[in-house]
Amino acid sequence: MPSAIELIQSLVNGVGIGLVYGLIAIGFCVIYNASGIVNFAQGVFVMLGGMFAYSFLVGMKLPLALAAAISIALVAVVGVLVQIAVIRPMWKRKAPMFAIILATLAVQLLIEQIVILTLGDQPRTYPEFTSGGPLKIGQVAIGYQLFWVLGCGALMVGLLTLFFNKTRVGRALRACSQNREAAALLGIPVGSMLVLSFALSAALGAAAGILITPMQYTSYSIDGPFGVSGFIAAIIGGFGSAPAALAGGILLGVVQSAAIVVFGAGYKNVIALTVLLIVLLFFPKGLFGGLAKRA
Amino acid sequence: MPSLIEVEGLSASYGHVAALKPVDLRVEEGEFVTVLGPNGAGKTTLLRAISRLVASQGRVSFKGQNISGLSTHRLAKLGIIMVQEGRGLFGEMTVYENLLLGAYNLGSEIEKVEGRFEQVFGLFPRLRERASQVAASMSGGEQQMLAVGRALMAGPKLLMLDEPSLGLAPKVAAEILDTLGELNRNGLGILLVEQKAPLALKLARRVYVLSSGSVRAELPANEIKSHHDLARYYFH
Ligand SMILES: Nc1ncnc2c1ncn2[C@@H]1O[C@H](COP(=O)(O)OP(=O)(O)OP(=O)(O)O)[C@@H](O)[C@H]1O
Ligand SMILES: [Mg+2]
Repeated sequence: MPSAIELIQSLVNGVGIGLVYGLIAIGFCVIYNASGIVNFAQGVFVMLGGMFAYSFLVGMKLPLALAAAISIALVAVVGVLVQIAVIRPMWKRKAPMFAIILATLAVQLLIEQIVILTLGDQPRTYPEFTSGGPLKIGQVAIGYQLFWVLGCGALMVGLLTLFFNKTRVGRALRACSQNREAAALLGIPVGSMLVLSFALSAALGAAAGILITPMQYTSYSIDGPFGVSGFIAAIIGGFGSAPAALAGGILLGVVQSAAIVVFGAGYKNVIALTVLLIVLLFFPKGLFGGLAKRA
Repeated sequence: MPSLIEVEGLSASYGHVAALKPVDLRVEEGEFVTVLGPNGAGKTTLLRAISRLVASQGRVSFKGQNISGLSTHRLAKLGIIMVQEGRGLFGEMTVYENLLLGAYNLGSEIEKVEGRFEQVFGLFPRLRERASQVAASMSGGEQQMLAVGRALMAGPKLLMLDEPSLGLAPKVAAEILDTLGELNRNGLGILLVEQKAPLALKLARRVYVLSSGSVRAELPANEIKSHHDLARYYFH
């Protein structure tokens, strides 16, 4: 049995990784709510965020804020390109939803290959944003990066909530998520809103990737695991609001890292999927009920 | 003067089913026109074809300008606004947010937006009282008021309504249709679709009778004395 300290430590680590899952989950929700598309290329944005940031930080020695900003902007552009080049043509031809979703999977594999060919297949990482640490509370160590994840995560969720509730464009995006036809009938350009949803969700994924890389590493292949975890978090949260998705992510992160301590690293995904199944068994509409309204 | 909207040879189909056979129809500036027809006549399809929610063939012009290829949101920007069958509200949003989204095209012209709020609240005081209520939790009548109010927030030049009285108590339906009459007297062009509505006949100047996807008759409204007069157009 692991000691209490080990458990507490794993909870702390779980919150950090869970926040990152939560950000990815919000990305899933933004696109899904605007369009009904589950974008399986979501993990790619996380991977690209970390890879780009590495290139700018370590390769070009840019300051952190600048490197992060450029990386996020570039990944947002990738999101827009995916929407315009792949999703929009299929959408216009009224392709069935499962075909569109499969196409997002193809995009993921394609971008992975492009990354291998251009940036290489080596894992890479960069230092935590604030050197020093970890902070010791008793025997529990809290790395400084966790505070960055917490702070940036809270900031982003706060800004998103403001955006969706208090701005004209944010409200229009929500309108699209509830009734696309009615939105169009009021003059809301639904097509542009879908592009925006991809940009927004790519930017969120990139931010998540930039934040998590110093705690782990990034490489062409992290998109799958992060995408799946973010997806699970989104389902637990019920594909609803940003805070619900974030809560889903934290729950998943905490359970996963506790499972690693108790059962060993090999059980990480077994536990994640078990959590998913249990949640769906007892709360078929997601923990926060968000899946109900779209049934 | 060109018509407010003129539809020539407009048709639409779902797969192999021709729901709307080539139809001609027009609404003059400031005119109140009603389209009557039984279930499945193609009334909804007609309005959806005009607002490009379904693909359609044919020519549509608005104040003499050809608008055939324009997408739904561009038509809305021109002032062609439709209240959908089933109301099409943003159910999880408040009354206030629904109305605000109605004024989406105004951008950030706050004074204009507030002016429209006043206009809508003037017509439907109930909406002011319930401004912070979630749309889905309102009664059917209130929801229909909200749907019309939201359409008015968009500043329509042509207001199209798809069976606004459906499922409402006669008194509530009359209230809403009276409001439409008032708007029309102030110069708003209206294209109203109903199944059977003596009230709609009273308000309208002209009536089209639609059946099996075709216009069976075009009549001045005052020539239709009773519903029986219509029935003979329904079946051919
Ligand atoms: N999405 C659809 N797919 C296939 N057929 C459809 C679809 N929508 C309508 N139809 C068919 O097209 C025809 C016209 O339908 P429409 O909804 O326009 O009639 P309506 O006059 O509005 O009827 P109601 O008074 O019942 O609303 C009907 O035969 C209907 O079954
Ligand atoms: Mg209908």
